Amino acid sequence: METFEILEHTGDVKIKVCGKTKEELFENAMAGMFAVLNPKSEVRNPKQRTIHIQSPDINALLVDFLSEVNYLRQVHREVYDRVEFLKFSDTELEGTLAGYEAKEFGEDIKAVTFHDLNINQNEQRIWETIIVFDV
Amino acid sequence: MQKSDFVKLSEYLWEVPRSFRGDMRVAARLYASEKMLEHAFRDESIEQLVNLTTLPGIQKYSIGMPDLHEGYGSPIGGVAAIDAATGIISPGMVGYDQNCGMRLLTSQLTTDDIRPKLDALATEIQKEVPSGLGRGRQLKFDIHEMDKILEEGSQHLVQKGYGEPEDIENCEEHGQMAGADASLVSEHAKRRGSDQAGTLGSGNHFLEIQKVEQIFDEETARQFGLFQNQVVIMAHTGSRGLGHQNATDYIRLMQGAMIKYGIDLPDRELACVPFQSEEGQKYFGALACGLNFAWANRQMISHFVRKAWDSILGTAGGKLSMLYDIAHNTAKLEEHEVGGKQIKLIVHRKGSTRAFPGQLVFIPGSMGTASYVLVGVESGKDTFYSTCHGAGRVMSRAAAIRNLSAPDIVRDLKEKGIIVKCWSLRGIAEEAPQAYKNIDEVIDVVHNAGISKKVARLVPLAVVKGE
Repeated sequence: METFEILEHTGDVKIKVCGKTKEELFENAMAGMFAVLNPKSEVRNPKQRTIHIQSPDINALLVDFLSEVNYLRQVHREVYDRVEFLKFSDTELEGTLAGYEAKEFGEDIKAVTFHDLNINQNEQRIWETIIVFDV
Repeated sequence: MQKSDFVKLSEYLWEVPRSFRGDMRVAARLYASEKMLEHAFRDESIEQLVNLTTLPGIQKYSIGMPDLHEGYGSPIGGVAAIDAATGIISPGMVGYDQNCGMRLLTSQLTTDDIRPKLDALATEIQKEVPSGLGRGRQLKFDIHEMDKILEEGSQHLVQKGYGEPEDIENCEEHGQMAGADASLVSEHAKRRGSDQAGTLGSGNHFLEIQKVEQIFDEETARQFGLFQNQVVIMAHTGSRGLGHQNATDYIRLMQGAMIKYGIDLPDRELACVPFQSEEGQKYFGALACGLNFAWANRQMISHFVRKAWDSILGTAGGKLSMLYDIAHNTAKLEEHEVGGKQIKLIVHRKGSTRAFPGQLVFIPGSMGTASYVLVGVESGKDTFYSTCHGAGRVMSRAAAIRNLSAPDIVRDLKEKGIIVKCWSLRGIAEEAPQAYKNIDEVIDVVHNAGISKKVARLVPLAVVKGE
């Protein structure tokens, strides 16, 4: 199972993300986002942030989660490569992001969109969705 | 969808009738040559253009410009004019780069005057105007200052000494959108924008030192002080992290509100609410802040470009004057004629530029190709006085990186005498001219279709790109 894959999109960046569980799907989506952002880091100075998000449904929860990560990484200039969920449902998540300082990013992500987003389980019981980032 | 779903209205105008899909409220129109129309089916752009016709309150038709390409929600190069009394406002359609737009500064120098110092000038501009993807600007505004900028736009910065009164006089909305209320913008958005006023951003955003290569309309060119071989500076950027977060916040809010107002759309990303609703009015006030921040950003960029200009050219450089500044991602309250009556509309322009009669429009080409100065005309009435905004992508960024070599692109441009300054090779490949439509063909469509008129063609001497 590929964790994420970058697909064709004329104007922006589209990725396909997979995960054995919804939690894993969220973590892989975050990894896909940082792959697009292409961060440059010199010293691996560790950083941690806590997050708590409530949303009307699972699709909105993913957008809101990634939007919050995008906000945190931009204002603090950090990269997160792990997330530990203390609470996780279709409408709420709480957890800790762990990562390190970034010197700069090779690409900007303006936002995470709802376009083509549809979290679902495929025939192999793998959770998957498309995500389009405005870059 | 296919070509046969379109009715040909003229050589450059095509229509998908309302009967095409059950949820269409009006027809969808596309300004394009036959070749462009055929190419448009390669991605989802036409379907996205049709989706715009489902927006409650839309008048006449949704409009696609010849630079149309796939976006999220709305296609890039889309216009939807919505009845302000009964219809919606869509944060999703305006998108995340609120007031992404263009500014042109003009000098009195010619290419011969500048040639010996061109490389030094491009280097200095690159140093003065960072992309903002690494460290932000040294100049960081506190929340109080941010609130002033959000409500007063570039006017506040000019008062602080970052520009001249003519910068405001010659800016759309005089650099300050009315109705801006900073309390409607989140702390998150203000923090994302606090060190980004005066930064270019990434993607297709750029600064170019250009020359006026060809003049098509002598009278208009003279009126606006444009002449053959003149050196000008073009800036393309938007509201940076502030606008991106502002849009994110309101699109999030709309997800719940849409259910409340019983609005069901084919694409959730078109998130909208009635314009007259509390949420609609709040968004409109917050959007005004986003627009103001973008004008402030381009104002700060002008300030730092002028600093670079003076430092390299000294008094011989003379003045860099503001010609005009115009947005191409907005929703504006305007009055237009519909069915013989003047009515108030929220005109959404996503990758489309307002083009009122006599008003200047700047259309950037892709990296290393031409840009245009256009002027709005009376016959632009058919598009609610809107025109295109750029060349329009044809190749995804991923495909461009895979198939094109950045060093080759830089060498090709160098052979044409164009200097490129960019910190990132990947950024150069992504924005290669081959990844875009031919700007001359796009401009010919809007010119020949009578929705705006060619004034001058500009070509780059040096390109300073975001990452």
